[in-house]
Amino acid sequence: MIWVSWRQHRSQAIACLGMLGILAIFAIVVSSSMRTAFSHDALAGCLAHNPATGACQGAVGAFMNSFNTVVNIGFWALSLALPGLIGVVIGAPLIARELEYGTWQLAWAQTVPRTRWLVTKLAVVTGGLVILGAAMTALITWYRQPMDRLTGHFINNVYDFEGLALTAYILLAFGLAVLAGLLIRRSIPAMVAALVAWLAVRLAVEYLLRPRFQAPLTLRQTCAHGCSLDVGITSVPPETGHIGDWVLRAANPGNQIVGTYQPAGRFWNFQFIEAGLIVTITAAALAATIWLLRRRAA
Amino acid sequence: MTRDAAAVAAVQTTRLGRRYGQVWGLRDCTLEVPAGAIAGLVGPNGAGKTTLLQMIIGLLKPTEGQASVFGQTSRAHTAATLARVSFVAQDHPLYRDFSVADMLHLGRVMNPSWDQGLALARMNALGIPPKRKVKSLSGGQQAQVSLTMALAKRAPLLVLDEPVSSLDPIARLEFMRDVMAATADTGLTVLIASHVVSELERLCDWLIVLTAGHVQLAGPVDDLLAAHRLLTVPRATQDAELPGHCIHRSDSDRHSTALVRADPARMAALDHPGWQADPVGFEQLVLAYLQRPPAAAAQDDPAQAAARPGPTTKAVTR
Repeated sequence: MIWVSWRQHRSQAIACLGMLGILAIFAIVVSSSMRTAFSHDALAGCLAHNPATGACQGAVGAFMNSFNTVVNIGFWALSLALPGLIGVVIGAPLIARELEYGTWQLAWAQTVPRTRWLVTKLAVVTGGLVILGAAMTALITWYRQPMDRLTGHFINNVYDFEGLALTAYILLAFGLAVLAGLLIRRSIPAMVAALVAWLAVRLAVEYLLRPRFQAPLTLRQTCAHGCSLDVGITSVPPETGHIGDWVLRAANPGNQIVGTYQPAGRFWNFQFIEAGLIVTITAAALAATIWLLRRRAA
Repeated sequence: MTRDAAAVAAVQTTRLGRRYGQVWGLRDCTLEVPAGAIAGLVGPNGAGKTTLLQMIIGLLKPTEGQASVFGQTSRAHTAATLARVSFVAQDHPLYRDFSVADMLHLGRVMNPSWDQGLALARMNALGIPPKRKVKSLSGGQQAQVSLTMALAKRAPLLVLDEPVSSLDPIARLEFMRDVMAATADTGLTVLIASHVVSELERLCDWLIVLTAGHVQLAGPVDDLLAAHRLLTVPRATQDAELPGHCIHRSDSDRHSTALVRADPARMAALDHPGWQADPVGFEQLVLAYLQRPPAAAAQDDPAQAAARPGPTTKAVTR
């Protein structure tokens, strides 16, 4: 049965390897020039001394001018599409294609009960997707390393590619698509439906749940010469003075800064909480698929 | 051949029914196919043939009633049911991007009783190279690969759903010849659904006619032919005057032709002046029952009821 699962998904596996290869070439080309610029601008030394005072501002500004567009912009858009697309393209046909082409009558009439057939396939493909997700995460983390030293990896678009989130969201799209394939019985509509559902979960978690995984810290500080609020990409959030903090909300009434933030040290806590949540939803979708398929059988 | 009353039927269904939404695809279907029979299941498109076959082999869950294969209820989530049935589905679905060797390997890893020697020998005899992709094969060759997979599974019951409907006449002939050869070797029980009546005539010794979800006729072909006569009678003759049960009647200017069902002994004794009794052919018999309104099957004569196994199993003569 493992051989059957592998044989049926062989071309998808090759396509994923190809995509990983293209990603790796892009990463190596961009990252090596970024690493060269990083050491040339002596940013490491500057950051080690005193990142908060703005002494590095000139060097950081020059670095950002060169790399902000290619490394940061576009990542968010990519994070909204790529894991979902990978998951639904592989997940939706898993059952729907058998139903569309009538091959379910072949697959489920062999001496393997359909529940075992499905569980084996899901295990093999899930394993492959975990490997793919881990490889992509490792590649992107390595690629972004110099940039992460300036921005941390808690900001939304980076958070979704490092740690566990990327793999978890690929699995979520896969699980939803397998279920949609069984319910809708056609590959393409199942892909669309699963992608919409995936995006809904993805955005709801990002905007409604993620800021509340742990109670945010409050900040209140007085600035003598007026405060400038710049929560953007430029390195250090002035509110906290610490790279990688995720500022949720900030306002400056008078000479004060008042707001809430999640400290950079909570990154892995958040990753585990979010991955746990997403993997639970995925497991529920897959369990529902197995139950439905079993119920239809005599 | 008279079977022992205790012998287990290869296929038995009891008041089997399946509803799709509000519509019954098949209803109240009770029938039996003895072990070793080659049974033809005939019916127009939409009669419920595929539904019946899928419930028999456990691919589909019955809404009511039950189906059993060799005495055990068909349950597709147990390997025990699956091991007893080989199935060739309509349009013989295969994985199009697999090679023939891949398909055979799939059969091998998914069936403990798989006979790889038989599979390879058949592919060799048919001149189908194992390296060829399934999608590059002709329809006839794909059907042969499907049949080979079913035969190599070595299950005691072979179920074929419209295996030749998409094939050209030559491929039909070869396919049916191969099914016959396989059954002759192994004592396989075969249940074959088709609306190509002429193909079944040469192959089957057991007949089931299904229309609009109801069984019209079921039993051994020889007994069924013996129990029917084609009577040519004056047009004025009423149905009630005919011996037995009138299944189908067509009237011309002066004469009527009626297909009747009655006790064979009574038929033999029939000697009515002006009447002519002729034996009926397989195709004529099937067509007469296919043209019958579905409701007619419900209020049937005792001979028809006798073809259905009652609560007490009785000997069935073949």
